[in-house]
Amino acid sequence: MSNNRTFRGGVHPLHGSHEGKAPTRGKAVRDYTARSVTILMGMHLGAPSTPCVQVGDHVKLGQVIGEPVGFLGLPVHASVSGEVTAVGPVQSVNNPAAMAVTIQNDFKDEWVEGLEPLGSVETCPAEKIVPAIKAAGICGMGGASFPTHVKFAVKEGQYCDTIILNGAECETHLTCDHRLMLERSSRVVDGLRAAMRALNVKKGIIAIEDNKPDAIEAMRQAAQGRLGVEVMALQTKYPQGGEKQLIQVVTGREVPTKKLPLDVHVIVLNVGTAAAIADAVIEGKPVISRITTVTGRVKEPANLRVRIGTSVADLLRECGGFSMDSAHVGKICLGGAMTGLPCPSVHIPITKANNGVVVYCAKEAVELEESPCIRCGRCVDACPIGLNPYKLKYLCDAQDMQGAAAANVMDCVVCGSCSYICPAHRVLTPSFKAMKDKIAAEAKKGKG
Amino acid sequence: MNLHLSPAPHVHSNQSTRVLMRNVLVALIPCVVAGICLFGYSAALLMLASVLTAVVAEYIWQRATGNKVRVGDLSAVVTGLILALNLPPQAPLWLAVVGSAFAIVIVKGLFGGLGDNFINPAMAARALLLASWPRYMTVWTAPTGLNSSVDAVSAATPLLTPGSYSLGQLFLGNIPGSVGEVCKLAILLGLAYLLFTHTITWRIPAVMVASTFVFTWLFGKNPLTSVLSGGVLFAAVFMATDYVTCPMTAPGQFVYAAGIGLVIALIRCFGGYPEGVTYAILLMNIAAPLLDHVFKRRVYGYEKGAKVQNG
Repeated sequence: MSNNRTFRGGVHPLHGSHEGKAPTRGKAVRDYTARSVTILMGMHLGAPSTPCVQVGDHVKLGQVIGEPVGFLGLPVHASVSGEVTAVGPVQSVNNPAAMAVTIQNDFKDEWVEGLEPLGSVETCPAEKIVPAIKAAGICGMGGASFPTHVKFAVKEGQYCDTIILNGAECETHLTCDHRLMLERSSRVVDGLRAAMRALNVKKGIIAIEDNKPDAIEAMRQAAQGRLGVEVMALQTKYPQGGEKQLIQVVTGREVPTKKLPLDVHVIVLNVGTAAAIADAVIEGKPVISRITTVTGRVKEPANLRVRIGTSVADLLRECGGFSMDSAHVGKICLGGAMTGLPCPSVHIPITKANNGVVVYCAKEAVELEESPCIRCGRCVDACPIGLNPYKLKYLCDAQDMQGAAAANVMDCVVCGSCSYICPAHRVLTPSFKAMKDKIAAEAKKGKG
Repeated sequence: MNLHLSPAPHVHSNQSTRVLMRNVLVALIPCVVAGICLFGYSAALLMLASVLTAVVAEYIWQRATGNKVRVGDLSAVVTGLILALNLPPQAPLWLAVVGSAFAIVIVKGLFGGLGDNFINPAMAARALLLASWPRYMTVWTAPTGLNSSVDAVSAATPLLTPGSYSLGQLFLGNIPGSVGEVCKLAILLGLAYLLFTHTITWRIPAVMVASTFVFTWLFGKNPLTSVLSGGVLFAAVFMATDYVTCPMTAPGQFVYAAGIGLVIALIRCFGGYPEGVTYAILLMNIAAPLLDHVFKRRVYGYEKGAKVQNG
């Protein structure tokens, strides 16, 4: 047990095998460019963008192909240059008919004209940083995909005194943030500085779990001499990188229920988001690629820098295919083992938030049968929020919306710790997620 | 390729109910061996009868009530074995059979099965036997060793005649008493295993023993002898820690364990029984839901003392 800081509760999934990160943590990021990409219009939280190109159009790298819609809207950019071959609905990981633009790559990588680099993050005009972030189409690259520029929308009476870069990477299997921090350390710090300057914040903290000592060291060196930037090592424990836990551990503050980090004067950004901010400010480049960890039951697990819209099938092929007969493949998930989304097919395009593709064999994917709760209390100990998952489960099973709401189901962060630890294999987290969605839908109906 | 779409999390801790119960059984091995070595094969027969009855009763009950048969979770084996280890070595086999069936059918089954019983089945069965057949439940014999042909000599337990046994005897179990509770060394080995495998935490055993120590001392008894006599240590490790019937939060468990120690001291020092562990645990079992209600974890994002119902 390390002496580094941590929160109360949590679990240690795959602790015996280095959180499942061993196969890829030593692998340098390599580029992979697909022959064709299918770019979703709804990659960010908020209304999907509207396609502004047509079949047959020739597009350049970084050209806007989707116009933002609404307050949470973001532009979408071409991640390759080439010809648009399709505009229409495709299957995404959670939507059978998601609007997308398909581009055939001409491999010329011709950048669009009119990129507007702002120059050094230390000297560029601070007021231009947030518009640059929006124009670059940046949303949370750690998985939440919340539009980044909206996080910087400080309301009347609010202020931000600390920006936390989330380099915890507490999810199992994933090493994309780890590699990013090793290989592009100064870019990450540049992104943090840009974010700090945008809101005139004096303190920036890069928080990293202590299972990545090399990344901690690399970031410490990169942070040397940078104004107000420090690196903090945290205990390795899931969900250390959860926004609420991270804020609690780093600043000692708790985000009040139903409030946002800005209400406790904090903004949390993923390290990948920070690097994207730096790219947008320094080079004027939008998000056209990201690092994705491809691991699990594949022949050659890897960290790949892939163009947005690359299909899972292409990534698997690039990694040598399955390490087993495809008949024995059980599950393919976008993201780590605790929160990853199961893919309905291999023809799913990678979005800005997809940090990993993990393949499980049939045996690993087998659904464990639910048995009676033995009241062991492990879920109570594991919940990072302090809920009573065992009790909440009864309320959710009984469809008792009022009871579940009174038992704070809306405070559940859907981290999966209770489901992971339950010896009776009770379906806890998915029940809470369903109940949260139901209550939210009901509230929306009431308003509208 | 048939892709599963079950939601996250996609990994699970390998501590299933069955694994936890198996851990308890492994932890009980030293007590079983010590019991047989001290009291002979009659102790082994007692355990066999109790375990068999528990498993068969569980099977029949689950079949008869149309529930899924879950004998494989090993919880009935644990109940049967713990009951046998709580009986006097010379108890007739039918006593174990009756107790075991009562524990499984009445205390556990009738209240909804595993997880829904509000008191520890083995403890409730022991209380029933003690109340119904005190003649068999309060006759103690000195350890005979494996050679059971030697006639067992009835003897007074250390609880009745404190000071007649050395601390060494109390620790190794060369004293009259229940099959499993006499050898403290064996119990401590079991405790070490349970802690090592994260089957239980230190909270309940440590606090319960400490509380017994402190309260018997306050009430004027030799605290060390008190802790090493009777079923205190065995109960602290194997029975007070029963998941189903103990509180779920750390502060609740502290109060629960301290309460057990206090009740044991009260019964032993001022009550009519020389022992008191059974009733102490049963009483605090009943208090567990209340303790769960009082001691909740504070929910993230709410002020201290804010009105949070939390389930």
